[in-house]
Amino acid sequence: MKILKLPKNKLDFFTSVVQQFGEVHAPVEQNGQFAFQPVRRWSEVRLDYNRTILPPKKYFLPPRETLLQYAGDAGYVPVMEGLDKKIVLFGVHACDVYGLNLLDLVFAGAYRDPYYQARRRNTAIIGIECTPDEHCFCRSMRADFVEQGFDLFFFDIGDYYFTLVGTALGDDMVLATGPLFEPVSHQDVEEYKRRSALKREAFRLHVEIRDLPEIFEMEYSSDIWQGLGERCLSCGACSMVCPTCYCYEVADEVQLGSREGPRARTWDSCLFATHAMVAGGENFRKTRPSRVKFRFYHKQRGFVAEYGRPGCVGCGRCIVACPVKIDVVEVLNQLRSVQNVASR
Amino acid sequence: MSLESKKKILVVDDDADFVESVSLFLEHNNFTVLKARDGSQGLKVARMEKPDLILMDVMMNERTEGFFTVQEMRRTPELAATPIFILSALYETQAGFRVKPQSSWLAHDEFIAKPVDMQALLEKIRARLGARQAAAFPAEGA
Repeated sequence: MKILKLPKNKLDFFTSVVQQFGEVHAPVEQNGQFAFQPVRRWSEVRLDYNRTILPPKKYFLPPRETLLQYAGDAGYVPVMEGLDKKIVLFGVHACDVYGLNLLDLVFAGAYRDPYYQARRRNTAIIGIECTPDEHCFCRSMRADFVEQGFDLFFFDIGDYYFTLVGTALGDDMVLATGPLFEPVSHQDVEEYKRRSALKREAFRLHVEIRDLPEIFEMEYSSDIWQGLGERCLSCGACSMVCPTCYCYEVADEVQLGSREGPRARTWDSCLFATHAMVAGGENFRKTRPSRVKFRFYHKQRGFVAEYGRPGCVGCGRCIVACPVKIDVVEVLNQLRSVQNVASR
Repeated sequence: MSLESKKKILVVDDDADFVESVSLFLEHNNFTVLKARDGSQGLKVARMEKPDLILMDVMMNERTEGFFTVQEMRRTPELAATPIFILSALYETQAGFRVKPQSSWLAHDEFIAKPVDMQALLEKIRARLGARQAAAFPAEGA
């Protein structure tokens, strides 16, 4: 892997130039929170953000998209417009890159989703190192560092960004920006290692994920699920903000008197009362405890069985978004009967 | 009145003296001049007035403002094909930034270094708008 460094005071120039690779989207502030948006001026960009409201998932699996257009005579015609739009997603945290890598397992593995894949192909990812806050536990989920899934990744080493070049496209970006990048020195490497160690120490939340699927197996009948179900409002906020929740609903949007219309895909959540409802009215998860339990089991046990790792990246978004303060770290540590999570 | 007098040119620049001098020069040469002092105002005026050509500074409120404004204009369907000339001294003042727009990374049409040679600018404007005019109204029998 190629490693270079970029002077921090040249980042605006770098971003100007990489616009040739696509529309640059980056975290900008919105009423005290952050969101990935198209960049209209460099000063809008907030690389010191903690987490965006929605993860980058929204670029690859949009909240609503038209998959097909149906018409009486033409039948079903796939809608592919806009899928070739080039985007440069700038300032993605490691946990979100990891989240995209997990989504790849679902949408670009055994079952390939052409809509997702096209967007993935046309979106460049430039990652940036971050500082964990009180809700971050990505280190526990092995998502605090990624070896792949980015074109470039920036690490703050003071006056420079230590830059990992992950792909040929990332290398093209470096080449396109001419002499902005510089070779790294031994001192730069030492500074990178020093800051990397400091970051490891900065995590305040910890979860032990080793043998967690087995503990889930043992605690299937635990009272914890009933208690959580009584608190959970089934609002689905945790699913909406989750970088790896991918459940969706597909429906033909029929209008009275019309013989044509779209077949749309919209985000769904396993917490919604209708999620497990099938034709005839049967619902396999009628109660809130059964639905909240399902969500935890899918993330921490089902995903491991299918893909060899949990479907959680430790970004902390669900903790922040939950209106009744259900905290995934607390739940996982309760299952293990570990009381203190913040002081280790 | 010549055809040229109907052409609208938007000047986006935070240097009021420069805007004034280039405006006088262009008006004297039968162009209508619209003015904006920064990128966001330039974008607003351009969307509203749909100028025939835009002269864009780079370093305004921010030193890369012109670059981002050009890209935003290109994302605006009604401005996607409007000729944009970059007028900047950036490459003289920022020695470390040697990625010149001549290398075509920016979605602009011309790069003109400041200080601007007004006569050369006029010729480039006339060439660009004349070419567009010819394309829009091909000669009879062409």
